[in-house]
Amino acid sequence: MERFVPRFDPRRTGLAILAPLLALAVAAALSSVVLLVADHSPLVAFQEMWNYGRKPEQVVNILNKGSGYFLSALAVAIGFRMNLFNIGVDGQYRIAAMFAAVAGAAVTLPGPLHIIFIVAVAVVVGAVWAGVAGLLKVYRGVSEVISTIMLNFIGAAFVAWAVTPQVWATLENNVVRTPTIPESGWFPGFSWSGVPEGGTQTVVFGEIYGFIVISGLVGIAYWFVLSRTRFGFDLRATGSSEPAAVASGVDVKRMVLTSMLLSGAVAGLVGMPILLGAAHSFGSQDFPAGIGFTGIAIALLGRNNPVGIAFASVLWGFLDVSNQILDIQGIPKEIVTIMQGTVVLAVVIAYEMVRRISVASEQRRVLSSERTVPTDPAVDASSGGAK
Amino acid sequence: MSEHPERSTTAAGPATTVPAVELNGITKRFPGVVANSDVTLKVARGTVHAIVGENGAGKSTLMKILYGMQRPDEGTIEVDGSPVTFHTPADAIKAGIGMVHQHFKLADNLTVLENVVLGSEPRRGWRLDIEGARRKIVGISDRYGLDVDPDPLVEDLGVGERQRVEILKVLYRGARTLILDEPTAVLVPQEVDELFDALQELKAEGLTVIFISHKLDEVLKVADEITVIRRGTTVRTVLPSEVTPRKLAELMVGSELPSPQTSESTVTDRAALEVKGLTVRDREGRPVVDDVTLTIHAGEVLGIAGVEGNGQAELVEAIMGIRPAEGSVVLEGRDLAGVPTRERRTAGVAFVPEDRIRQGLLLESPLWENRMLGHQTSPPNARGPLVNRRGARADTERIVRDYDVRTPSIDVTASALSGGNQQKLIVGREMSGNPRLLLAAHPTRGVDVGAQAAIWDHLRRARAEGLAVLLISADLDELIGLSDSLKVILRGRLVADADPSTVTPEDLGSAMTGAGSTTDGGPAAREGSES
Repeated sequence: MERFVPRFDPRRTGLAILAPLLALAVAAALSSVVLLVADHSPLVAFQEMWNYGRKPEQVVNILNKGSGYFLSALAVAIGFRMNLFNIGVDGQYRIAAMFAAVAGAAVTLPGPLHIIFIVAVAVVVGAVWAGVAGLLKVYRGVSEVISTIMLNFIGAAFVAWAVTPQVWATLENNVVRTPTIPESGWFPGFSWSGVPEGGTQTVVFGEIYGFIVISGLVGIAYWFVLSRTRFGFDLRATGSSEPAAVASGVDVKRMVLTSMLLSGAVAGLVGMPILLGAAHSFGSQDFPAGIGFTGIAIALLGRNNPVGIAFASVLWGFLDVSNQILDIQGIPKEIVTIMQGTVVLAVVIAYEMVRRISVASEQRRVLSSERTVPTDPAVDASSGGAK
Repeated sequence: MSEHPERSTTAAGPATTVPAVELNGITKRFPGVVANSDVTLKVARGTVHAIVGENGAGKSTLMKILYGMQRPDEGTIEVDGSPVTFHTPADAIKAGIGMVHQHFKLADNLTVLENVVLGSEPRRGWRLDIEGARRKIVGISDRYGLDVDPDPLVEDLGVGERQRVEILKVLYRGARTLILDEPTAVLVPQEVDELFDALQELKAEGLTVIFISHKLDEVLKVADEITVIRRGTTVRTVLPSEVTPRKLAELMVGSELPSPQTSESTVTDRAALEVKGLTVRDREGRPVVDDVTLTIHAGEVLGIAGVEGNGQAELVEAIMGIRPAEGSVVLEGRDLAGVPTRERRTAGVAFVPEDRIRQGLLLESPLWENRMLGHQTSPPNARGPLVNRRGARADTERIVRDYDVRTPSIDVTASALSGGNQQKLIVGREMSGNPRLLLAAHPTRGVDVGAQAAIWDHLRRARAEGLAVLLISADLDELIGLSDSLKVILRGRLVADADPSTVTPEDLGSAMTGAGSTTDGGPAAREGSES
């Protein structure tokens, strides 16, 4: 039974939770300073954000944004666990979403099959795009950081070219979009309705993307593969010490390629919540550049842990959504960007501190088991005997 | 305090004046543990004073206290008769105490001179006084016979030279008392002799040396007095003339101990490993392992003697399939050409790497995951494509028990263990799963006497059951004691064979440096056995 129970070490868990909380506090403090300098009350600003972000309509928005962020961060985290920096999630997600939209609109299939087809196209395109960087690294020793950044630009240019009326898009109401996917390829969402605060009538607050369930399943799969399979062990071993992994029999080249493909495949899913749940066609305004980079920040904040990443995604979504109210209140909404930036910086520092503290405390524990206090009678007995 | 450790009277000791360093009742507690307890130590000026003890006995903590890296909770430190309190190593240096660390702290891409002055640069006005520094360095080098040239880059120096640079660096800062932490761990016998000569010079000039080691024969050779430390406290101070290595070792572990001698031959005529014409090349295409041919039979330990860096690591890695090589490797009749490392492991090749931190462990992973490393595809660690956590954990508990890995739990990370305990875990892991061939590079390096004996026992037992072992070790006594046959490697070639039943460490040492009758690249000469 024991293997199904995660080892719970209250000390370690406490430290692990403390770090991001500490980082948040630092970020809040720094943002407060900036707000004070700009002559705004931090208390008012935070209060406004909190009250606004709590509204059911905004909760829907936060979850919807968060589901994309979550996938993006998972894609980054797969690389991170292996010491690979997939900076190209941004390009992979956009090019995958674009191809999926075009392909989805071009075919007619019965309901679930249609969705599966669209998702499969996205996964394959994302994996292929990331795989280019993987191949370059394995066969030519090109750093994946450089190649994925370059592929971002190439991908962005390709999307810009493809999404024009001359190629795959159409111009409707002054907006350039790819053709709309037939309704069989829409992923049903969860409609949330209720009586708003102070209201009497029941209203629909909004629709949570149904794909959020798939995001959750991907998160569970990520956890399972990494911590419960031999493949995951190899991947983590390669990440923590390549020479040790090689000596243990891991084929590192193959590992690089596989994890790059996996990372790209998950990156391909990033655009699916919005494509299948709301947009139903590809247009640049719905699939902005930058979600891939946000994923890097969220993966760092969530420490490559799926639960941590889930919380971090929601936090990011909340910050994104609630900055709208600041604008309305005349408070510069850039404060949220400052906060997001400082949170990432602070969390990196906090995690390193926590790591050192826990290593030190562990070493003390080991030390105490290696040696007992020298009131041990053996000491006296033997030194006496050696006279 | 009736249980206060006794000390030999100083009447026979060389010192009658004020001791250079005196520690009284030093106690250091870490939360939940006493690292040092009532440590008492008197080091006479102008002597070499050795401190011996097992890993984790508290030698390092004591030296950190003496060097100002940690402060004692109780007790006093006196230098030249006056009490001192050290807050940082800088305070200790000011009081004339210098430390030569086991792992050199030198910048490879700077010259000797730059390394020596780094941190205490001599200035003339605004400028660095290079000439003054050079004069001072050459002066110190001549005075103490260190033979250090100030100009080459440190990366071009050998290990022994680097060590002398470290010593010079400490002297340059005005140290009168030198702490040497395991100084011989990285040296070959000839270099050890040179070091000991240098220590005699230092002594003759009135300097004091505190020599930390667990190589007892060396301690007996070089020290004027020896203090044994066990379980955090000083057990006894003896004169080298009073004790034998065996007696000293027993003081260290507090019990009787075994020797590395293997009783009877278990060599069979069944070849477990046949290597023919194995050649490994470096990036420039030069051979680092050159046309090596050897056979190890089931139940045989083949020892490879050689100065580190003569191709031993590459030879082992080639047999593991980590490094591309020419020539053939045949394991129990199966040609391993093109067989990847993982498959070689499952075919029964076990590997205790030379550099355990780099190749043997995942430092940030718990012990039970480290148990899986290298064996992640086979039971009890795996079940199909899944990790068998329960199996791996249970088996880790077994290794911890059988190999006496001192740890509070199997969930601590590998980095928390001391080097000796890490090594025990690795050896235990590699001996699991009934291997056919063990490639063991320095299997007892950094391991204390008690654990060393335990590892030897395990090796002997496995050998009796038909395990073939390729043993690489810098500990010549271990090589001679454990091996059924010996070969000497020099610049990638096997240059000599030796019979472990007759060869002496000195013979082996000179063969290793090519000083014997063998000329470079000449045919294998049967030296050693004839002296």
